[in-house]
Amino acid sequence: MSQSRNQRCLEPGLSVLVGTADAAGMPSCCRGIAISTADDLQTITVYVPVATSHETIQNVGVTRRVAVTVTHPRDNFATQFKGSAVEARLAREDEAPFVRARLDAFADVLDRIGVPRRVTRGVAHWPAFAVTLRVDQTFEQTPGPNAGRPIA
Amino acid sequence: MKVRVSDIRRCFQGVVPSMVATADGRGVPNVVYVSQVYFVDDRHVALSCQFFSKTRRNLDENPVACAEVMDPITLQAYRLKLKFLRSERSGPLFDTMSLRIDAIASHTGMAGVFKLIAADVFEVLSADLVEGYLMDAPVDAPAGASLDGLRTEVRGLQWVSDRINRATSLESLLGGVLEALEEYFTFSHTSVLLHDEANHRLTTLASRGYGRSGIGAEVGIGEGLIGTVARERRLLRLSSLDADLRYGRAIRRAAADGSRMLQEEIPLPGLPDAQSVLAIPLTVGDRLIGVIAAEDRDPMRFNEWHEAYLEVLANQIALGIDRMIERCDEPADTSPAIDAPAPLPAKPAAPRSRRRLTYYKHDDAIFVDDEYLIRNIPARILWKVLGESTRTGRTEFSNREMRIDPSLGLPPVKDNFESRLILLRHRLQEKCPDLQIVSTGRGRFALRADAVIEMSER
Repeated sequence: MSQSRNQRCLEPGLSVLVGTADAAGMPSCCRGIAISTADDLQTITVYVPVATSHETIQNVGVTRRVAVTVTHPRDNFATQFKGSAVEARLAREDEAPFVRARLDAFADVLDRIGVPRRVTRGVAHWPAFAVTLRVDQTFEQTPGPNAGRPIA
Repeated sequence: MKVRVSDIRRCFQGVVPSMVATADGRGVPNVVYVSQVYFVDDRHVALSCQFFSKTRRNLDENPVACAEVMDPITLQAYRLKLKFLRSERSGPLFDTMSLRIDAIASHTGMAGVFKLIAADVFEVLSADLVEGYLMDAPVDAPAGASLDGLRTEVRGLQWVSDRINRATSLESLLGGVLEALEEYFTFSHTSVLLHDEANHRLTTLASRGYGRSGIGAEVGIGEGLIGTVARERRLLRLSSLDADLRYGRAIRRAAADGSRMLQEEIPLPGLPDAQSVLAIPLTVGDRLIGVIAAEDRDPMRFNEWHEAYLEVLANQIALGIDRMIERCDEPADTSPAIDAPAPLPAKPAAPRSRRRLTYYKHDDAIFVDDEYLIRNIPARILWKVLGESTRTGRTEFSNREMRIDPSLGLPPVKDNFESRLILLRHRLQEKCPDLQIVSTGRGRFALRADAVIEMSER
């Protein structure tokens, strides 16, 4: 994946979606608040609010399979990462400012397209679980005929 | 907490994109945004299939999904567990979903590229409020029409009927209808476009609430939001125009490398920052009369109640317009028209201005002092009466003599003569106010020139 695409996937102001499935194949989804990486997207850590991610965390514990889609709301530029969870833990207090800053940046972006900041900031975000996955595959997810194609 | 799908219908207006997760046959999840989850009934929803995506392939292997939808006012999220039932490639649900996509596609120059392949119908296995999603409990907002609103709108219907019945000209009818929509429905940005069967286009004949009237603006059948409504003869309500257009433009960018030629984007009529649009076809039987459109900056401005109510109103308006056009076919009379403007006041003797009008044969258009004035049939009408006036000094004309002149190219039936005169009158008011077309009685009009007119043809 190109360096510029990597950067766009990690910018503030992204929407983050998390998909999982249980052992029987029934899918589940929840909104994430932030993603980060320490190794150029070889692994990513996605933060999901404790309040809304019970099913997600349960599924991760059973199947370890996770899909994460990050989208720029202003132009729908989107990328999906799929992989296996290597860790799921409660986010540390020292990660709270990062998570909060990402929510604020997302609120700023939505505010520019008509959703008031106060509404977005009212979304639960902390405490959060931090789920780290090893990225096995990356896909183009920008709407259009190429959506779903693997990115080398 | 379980909820009834019909109790969260605001979530299905497409204002906030929804997410959908599926899993393939091996249990590998996939999660994406969808532009809209469509409400079908209390036990069913539908998703639009626009591309043969991973979501679609997963459903073939493992026919279950999870969707998270969001209330656009409170941002409360709801999670739906779904079982895929079938793909519909025709029928009322397909047509409704397709209209919205076609309109956005046409508006973003993506007609034929960005289209609905199928309406994928799901059974709702469960619908739950996502507990703890918001830090504070959402403040609910009214979803439908209040009794007071109902009373106001019934009065509005009576008022519109009355205005239609009493209108003495097409112009007063259209003006009265738009005034009523503002007074009784608080729709402050509205327009009416009439269908011209001669050139298969819609022409704006009346508008309200815009800085520039836009009268004379045209759109082809099938072009943009309004043209799509006209072609499909179906009402269109868009609640998140900006989001839909961003989505359409994203697809346009993604498709730009393809071999197909993409059309230029058609500018939105009226408000440049409209967030919601309601466009209603005006039809009599199968015949298209025109389209009435309302816009607003509030993405939630128009709801299902307006949709149902205005369809009734649109039928009346269409019949009223049709009747008025029929009446214009009747013989001219000699009595003064009730709504004819007062004669122009005599002006003190002063040097008269000069106006240079040029008719460009190749473009069938008239320019005034090098600025575009009008084209097609209204241009030919103006050129005829100007020429006649110059040659003979006549200033009074009848609709009938225009109709029988083959050089004007009016259709033999339903020629919309009055609407062409309205258009001409408004364009003259805007671009050449010292040349006027005034009504002097039913089926009669006069040319009033307060300037020296120089005519030339190229």
